[in-house]
Amino acid sequence: MTATPTTAPARLRPSVTARSRRADRPKLGHTAVGILFLAVMLFPIYWMINASLQPSGNTLTADFLPLKPDFGGYQKAIEQQGTNLVTSLVISLGTVVFSLAVAAPAAYMLGQIRSSWINVGLLAILISQMIPGIVIANALYAAYNDLGLLNSIPGLILADATHAIPFVILIVRAFMMKIPPSIVEAARVDGAGIARAFVSIVLPISRNSLITAGLFAFLFSWSDFLFALTLTTTEDVRPVTLGIYTYLGTQVSNWSAVMATAVLSSIPAIVLLVLAQKYIAAGATGGAVK
Amino acid sequence: MPGARRRRGGRERLVQVLFLAPAGLYLVLFFGYPVVKNVLMSMQAYTTRTFFTGEAPWVGLANYATALGSTLFAPAMLNTALFTIGSIVGQFAIGLALASFFRRKFPLSGFLRSMLLLPWLLPLIVSSATWRSILDQDSGVLNAFLRSLGIIQEPVPWLTSPSVALLAVVLVTIWVGIPFNVTILYGGLQEIPEELYEAGAVDGATGWKAFWHITWPNLRPVVSVVLVLGVVYTLKVLDIILGLTNGGPANATQTLAVRSYQESFVNFQFGVGAAFSNILILISLVFAVIYLRLNRRAVDE
Amino acid sequence: MNKKINRLLALAALAPLALTACGGGGSQASANGKVGELTVLDYYNNEPDKTHIQKALDKCASELGVTLKRETVPGKDLIQKVLQRSSSRTLPDVLMLDNPDVQEIAATGGLSPLSDYGVNTSGFAQGMLDAATYEGKVYGLAPTANTLGLFYNKEMLAAAGIQPPKTWDELKAAAAKLTTGDRYGLAFSAIATYEGSWQFLPFMWTNGGDETDLKSAKVAESLKLIDDLVASGSASKSVVNWSQADVRDQFAAGKAAMMINGPWQIPSLAKTPTISWEAVQVPVHEAGQIPVAPLGGEVWTVPLTGNKDKQAKAAKLVECITSDENQLALAKERFTVPTRTALAGDYVKAVPQMAAFTDQVSHARSRTGKLGKEWPKAATVMYTAIQLALTDQATPGEAFTRASAG
Repeated sequence: MTATPTTAPARLRPSVTARSRRADRPKLGHTAVGILFLAVMLFPIYWMINASLQPSGNTLTADFLPLKPDFGGYQKAIEQQGTNLVTSLVISLGTVVFSLAVAAPAAYMLGQIRSSWINVGLLAILISQMIPGIVIANALYAAYNDLGLLNSIPGLILADATHAIPFVILIVRAFMMKIPPSIVEAARVDGAGIARAFVSIVLPISRNSLITAGLFAFLFSWSDFLFALTLTTTEDVRPVTLGIYTYLGTQVSNWSAVMATAVLSSIPAIVLLVLAQKYIAAGATGGAVK
Repeated sequence: MPGARRRRGGRERLVQVLFLAPAGLYLVLFFGYPVVKNVLMSMQAYTTRTFFTGEAPWVGLANYATALGSTLFAPAMLNTALFTIGSIVGQFAIGLALASFFRRKFPLSGFLRSMLLLPWLLPLIVSSATWRSILDQDSGVLNAFLRSLGIIQEPVPWLTSPSVALLAVVLVTIWVGIPFNVTILYGGLQEIPEELYEAGAVDGATGWKAFWHITWPNLRPVVSVVLVLGVVYTLKVLDIILGLTNGGPANATQTLAVRSYQESFVNFQFGVGAAFSNILILISLVFAVIYLRLNRRAVDE
Repeated sequence: MNKKINRLLALAALAPLALTACGGGGSQASANGKVGELTVLDYYNNEPDKTHIQKALDKCASELGVTLKRETVPGKDLIQKVLQRSSSRTLPDVLMLDNPDVQEIAATGGLSPLSDYGVNTSGFAQGMLDAATYEGKVYGLAPTANTLGLFYNKEMLAAAGIQPPKTWDELKAAAAKLTTGDRYGLAFSAIATYEGSWQFLPFMWTNGGDETDLKSAKVAESLKLIDDLVASGSASKSVVNWSQADVRDQFAAGKAAMMINGPWQIPSLAKTPTISWEAVQVPVHEAGQIPVAPLGGEVWTVPLTGNKDKQAKAAKLVECITSDENQLALAKERFTVPTRTALAGDYVKAVPQMAAFTDQVSHARSRTGKLGKEWPKAATVMYTAIQLALTDQATPGEAFTRASAG
């Protein structure tokens, strides 16, 4: 294991050797346990894929393995949901960027300032997480209608950020509070302003928390259905969650297409998540503390 | 010199404001108005007609009286408490165990950890439909599995018996919540400097001792935020319950969130629905205040 | 005043973003006179219905010389969307509503009565007119209707040597005899939503029970019937968690020999050709009673948008889509029953499978005919009582009293 953190690699050397010593022990046992647990966790997803390959779209008469797979649902999903998938990706990535840009500076400041007003601010952020989405959606519809933001990608990014921004502030703040003030102060002594210290020191050290928070900003936005439904009135801009509803009728539903769409749309997203997780470094602040 | 400091102080204040302003503005715009509106709505006789005419007579606290006086209020409160506690305890315990497990790097650990997020990528309507078929009493694969292992003789009425349904809903909520807990707690664990463990090991702190004296104190800010957010999110869980049981069987899975939804969009009593959701917000507030207290104590330390 | 603050807040802060936003926006009222485009909102978001309805709409639009901008939303979210639209004055020109919702929405003042445009509403099934009537005025028309019937698996009944049941006793006996191993005799939906109440109505109404007096013995008797079916094991305990789609799945998988369901399931049943089925009317308590089932179907209405010309055109569109020709076309494609009673004969000739349902529709009742806006409350009491009884929380005799306690 030579995952070398970007910050002060030289100081980390002792821990690297310590870890590689431990790595000598067989770790494949861990991998096996990990796979076993994952299998349990993901069984429902397997079962969904199994259902999606059944002609009936359900598992009432299904075997444990889809022996006679029917790809009709997938064909339909590929033909009809491609554009929606791209829309979802654009909106979700946009939400990640927008949320991090707005929330990260605030998270840092809320961790730094010592004032009783901070608690008021935090309380406000927490309250914002308690509001039912439908209440926000109703209010936004009227405003968006006046502003011409309906059926637009920026409109959906702004709305989806309601899931993410308060969350990112709280999570990133919890992480940033652990950054030893001495590190930032050292930079300040060297003449850097807060803004520069933030960009060149705080953000790189907080990489892990930013990626973690960004992952969830992506997931929140990806799984949004309510805003997609409320803030669009045409099929021009349509995230894939709403596209799934094309197969869910009021009286009759095409479950094999629903599940096929869910499966297919997860693939690009999971690739992104795997890539992002790769960049969560071990003990990133560790080297910089001393 | 003092002048320079003052100038620097003034500029610093400006930077502080600039750091906070975008988020503050966003919160006011996207949350301030809806909250105010929800509170007003709960004190009005707000019906479908109001949406068209804008007219809603002021009724003071009558909607709250209706909400508190309904026979479903007490069971919904109890269910909300059981549901939230059960889900949070389960999610957090399993999440922390898994996060610690994944911290020991092993082949494929990063990949497996990412795959854990998969349940979050599926729309809840899809996962709850899948769970409904898995939990079906007669043809569900879970009962078939448990029976083949000899754990149960009779099929478990997961979603059809009022005494089991809440447990089933909690299980599914735990399943949905594990990825969230694992990912954030894992991130928190990664931030704890390796040196602390090495120093601890020298002093004989390994295993549980290391967890208790090193991991837990260092993880506390992250734990408290995960828990408070977990409670807030779980209190308002709606889709999972609607997808699995619709509040049934025989109201066994009615929670405050379900009541709020049903009063508003099934019975069209928007005022009463808003009252229910405000009661829910008040309960969340209690947890928020506890969180802030803990938070302040942590800062003071 | 709220609205004003909202708008100011929103405008102030979102203005810079609006510059970058593309397209969208509410429909602008056209200059008086020519009507170019009508907006349509409905819940036929799923195939094949989406296309069938589109075809009918397009045909009418070209007859009227207008273009249509149609939006389809998932069924359970339609009302929410309608309310959002009414509060921001952006209701569509033509609005489809599920028939039990019409009075609720008409009561908001957001719809206009069809008599304003001289639309002739005679000859339509009375149940459907009842559903669409608010304070003495008809607010919408439905091209077709549906209802419930008893589907049975022909092979299973033949193998057991049973005739399709006509009375409750026959139903119980048949269901018991048809129950084997992992197959139930009967499947129906008793879920904790309006679907559960809707499926209970044929039994309740046929027996003389009434939604205005849910604590009556007649209603309790009907509840006892379905409670007996579940308690005796002829129907699964899972019915309390089954939607009508789940019921169809059970029947199509051969796990139920009979089911209570509607004709909208016919196209999907056709996808499982191994199941050969037929449908009869829902059994009655005693031979000789007339089966009374609930009337389902969607009604097309004309919202008050403020643009008189468009409203008039929209009314023409409603008239066109409910014309005889369109009724028959839609009924044939969608396995629904024409709402103009005079068309029944022609229709059954063309689609013999629909005979039982067409008969059933002629006696069918609307859910909101008596209670109007109070219907949701009664329906909630009904599904709650059913759930209480089927999960043994209450006897059928006391279930409705317990459920209506609120």
